[in-house]
Amino acid sequence: MTEVKISRTAGLLGGSEGRTFSWDKIRQVANVEIVIAGTLFTIIAVIAIFGQFLQTHDPMQGDLLKRFTPPGQEGYFMGSDHLGRDLWSRMVDGLQWSMACAMTANVLNLLIGSTLGLLAAEKPGWLRIIVNQFVYTLQSFPGLVILICVVVVVGQGFITLVLTLGLLSWVVYMRVVYAEASSLSQREYVQAARLAGVSRWAIMFGHVLPGVRASLFVIFAFHFAGLLIAESALSFLGLGAPLGVPTWGNMLAESRQYMIRAPWMLVVPAGAIVTAVVTMNLVGDGIASLARKKGPSIDA
Amino acid sequence: MSSTAETAPAGPQAAGRWDSLIGPFVPVLHQLTRLAVLLFMVTTLLFFMLRLAGDPALVLAGNDATPEQLEAIRAQYGLDKPLIVQYFNYMGNLIQGDFGKSLASGERAMGKVLTMLPATLLIAGLAMAASICIAIPLGAWLGFKPERFDRRGVSGIIFVFQGVPGFVSALIFIQVFAVNLRWLPSLGMDYGNVKTWILPSASLAWFLMPSLTRVVAANTAEAMREDYIRTARAGGAPGYSLLWRHALPNALLGAAALIGTQFAFLVGGAVITETIFAWPGIGWLLIESTQTLDFPVVQALAFCIAILVFTVNAVTDLSFQYLDPRLRTKGN
Repeated sequence: MTEVKISRTAGLLGGSEGRTFSWDKIRQVANVEIVIAGTLFTIIAVIAIFGQFLQTHDPMQGDLLKRFTPPGQEGYFMGSDHLGRDLWSRMVDGLQWSMACAMTANVLNLLIGSTLGLLAAEKPGWLRIIVNQFVYTLQSFPGLVILICVVVVVGQGFITLVLTLGLLSWVVYMRVVYAEASSLSQREYVQAARLAGVSRWAIMFGHVLPGVRASLFVIFAFHFAGLLIAESALSFLGLGAPLGVPTWGNMLAESRQYMIRAPWMLVVPAGAIVTAVVTMNLVGDGIASLARKKGPSIDA
Repeated sequence: MSSTAETAPAGPQAAGRWDSLIGPFVPVLHQLTRLAVLLFMVTTLLFFMLRLAGDPALVLAGNDATPEQLEAIRAQYGLDKPLIVQYFNYMGNLIQGDFGKSLASGERAMGKVLTMLPATLLIAGLAMAASICIAIPLGAWLGFKPERFDRRGVSGIIFVFQGVPGFVSALIFIQVFAVNLRWLPSLGMDYGNVKTWILPSASLAWFLMPSLTRVVAANTAEAMREDYIRTARAGGAPGYSLLWRHALPNALLGAAALIGTQFAFLVGGAVITETIFAWPGIGWLLIESTQTLDFPVVQALAFCIAILVFTVNAVTDLSFQYLDPRLRTKGN
């Protein structure tokens, strides 16, 4: 779903020249949404980085005498779970896990997708056909099967999850970069560089890529949200994080058996996922609206 | 086109006739070639990947089989031959429409997939219909005057809803409607009992609706700024006729693309929703059969999903040409 949204937003941007970020520009377009996005993003980043100092309990160590403590009682300010473990501390661990997964996979996606997109746009012929056919296959291929196979062979874990997500979900980047780079490479400044004898690789990375940069930032944010959802869904199914590692998906899966006794076991991880995803979507929207206010365009 | 002209035996006139005969079908042939290449790549990739993942003989024989039993099973199913020979045997059978039998139950693999398919199509269709019925009027209302205070509030709510993953809303629905209110069953599936359909399709619809609403709203707002709307308004067209007759049809074009993508996603099996609700569709079967390494079923599933996704995408593309007069004239 994010895919469509991204290509729509990216289409609005066009290839925007000039700096994507500058304090002047942020001051010009700053509105409520951007302020909310920035605040939420900062909070999440602080928790992700300084999580260890903010945890009130050991996330793995339970106190069976204090099982199912409702939020706000006995020092568990988000309550405790079926083994008496502190939900807040587990949520912090889950945040760090999710962010690490989504970030690594997203960087992999960015590198693979934009390189292939640039190559397909700049080098017509067999390479373009192969890349497009591959993208096409990937889109109707059940990626879950690949993940399950890898899990069966080498087991669950961070590397398995990140590599599978990283190697399989770069299609968004490829499509947007391909579309924008194809039109950018027809522009006069690229043609001029080509005539001046600049090498193909230098044109790709020095002349075309900067024009796509703003869209890449936007996709990065939206895709980050998509990867957060994918990661927690896979952990929920027992295919992502190994059992016992506190992640939002695992916490949701555990909560299912105690829905009547302890609904907060559902509310805490669900709230965490929704907050993180909404924040990343807001950040994406924010970057898009910053980038839409173009600087002086080269061909204006 | 050029290749048909080259292979045509007679002179230019015959080639022209041949072209005009086959001309209308060229796009269809082109699509079918793409589908064939796609199916070939999906099956080939899967075949080698699944063999890397595990030994079907072990799955068939169970964990406590003796080496002799394993040998016997390998010989019986042709698993003792080199992988590449197995691959060509498999592809040969596949071309004849034989996907093999399920390792787990001995049923025909494709038959098993096809019996599961209606359940998936049922919730996919219901969810899609519900999502469209809510999203289009809501999106039109939001996009008509997006700057109004009430619409901005609703837009904000929709934005938050968009951040709720499908499986989270499914769990929340179960918590509210099955656990707290006890209105609906939390899992299981029964074609005769409409109550069992509601929660799975509602949670899918809940997940599809926000993004569709946002696209319809954005497109409507964009269309309302166009020149033809200004002209119509200057001509005295009343406000809601501007929306329904002039702006919305254009806005729906953009929405059609998203509807196609969403439906393609759903027919591929809403894996998690089906797992949560124990809904016996192809998404559920996908997890089940891959985890038990039931190779023939996984292969048949992937084949089916590829065809379905391809068809939905092709139909979306075609309907665009039908819906958008600009594409129709440009196409020919």
